[in-house]
Amino acid sequence: MHVLAQVPFLAQVATKEEVLQHQYEFLSYGLTAAWVILAVYVLMMIGRERKLKREIASLRAMLEEKHGE
Amino acid sequence: MREKILYALGAAAIAILVWNINTIARLPEETQQGVTFKIIFFHVPMWACAVTAACAALLSSVGFLSTRNFKFDAAAVAVTEVGLAFTSVGLVTGSIWGREIWGIWWTWDARLTSALVCWLLYAGYLMLRKAIEEPTQRATFSAVFSIFAFLDVPIVVFSIKWWRTQHPQPVFWAGGSFPPDWTRHLMWNMVAMLMLGIVMTAVRFRQEEAQREIDFLRRMAHAI
Repeated sequence: MHVLAQVPFLAQVATKEEVLQHQYEFLSYGLTAAWVILAVYVLMMIGRERKLKREIASLRAMLEEKHGE
Repeated sequence: MREKILYALGAAAIAILVWNINTIARLPEETQQGVTFKIIFFHVPMWACAVTAACAALLSSVGFLSTRNFKFDAAAVAVTEVGLAFTSVGLVTGSIWGREIWGIWWTWDARLTSALVCWLLYAGYLMLRKAIEEPTQRATFSAVFSIFAFLDVPIVVFSIKWWRTQHPQPVFWAGGSFPPDWTRHLMWNMVAMLMLGIVMTAVRFRQEEAQREIDFLRRMAHAI
């Protein structure tokens, strides 16, 4: 280990590349969180749409059946 | 036809976002915050959409109370739910940005606290709707609650002007500086998010109408 890196303050000084990598890491967290939340919401909406369509179809079928009797 | 317009709008929004993200990635680093600052291109448009949704929810709720037309109620719930999704993204991206720049995930300053209260109020609105069975009562109570919830929105927007906060002062309407080409990309993202918001609201509105049709069919089935 270099003698300067043993000094606590200097050991904490990150290189430019490390800082940049850290910043990119947080930028990616932010973007991922944004798209994941929106994607989960869209998927929930798609699921609800299917459920509603199924429910309408079954109710209509039931009503037609009752009218037929 | 209406469905085709919605799909076209959604596809256009995604195309704008893909093109814009590609351009934003090539923008230079900000001098103080480096690349982390680029979260602004998503954080601000999300909040702009959330505030727009809150305004639309207010108008729809007032519309329902003055006309008793259930289309306004459906519009209010649709726009509130989509707005809540945008608010969630705004809170999470802000928290991640804060962790990198301030060194903390959260602080109880006026802006962040009022924004969290706003999220809780609109989440409460959606929970209230689930708790009331009778449609007219549900729509009336929800409309009144939505108008009450909107009182928090100006506090969220102007809190950074009214009080000293950890959150920075407004960049765009208080003399802050932002390069013109960056502003253009931010505006493009804002347009694309708004388009996505419109598509999601329209889909959610249609679902609410379908739910009313289900309620009607159920009543018919019971009556026969």
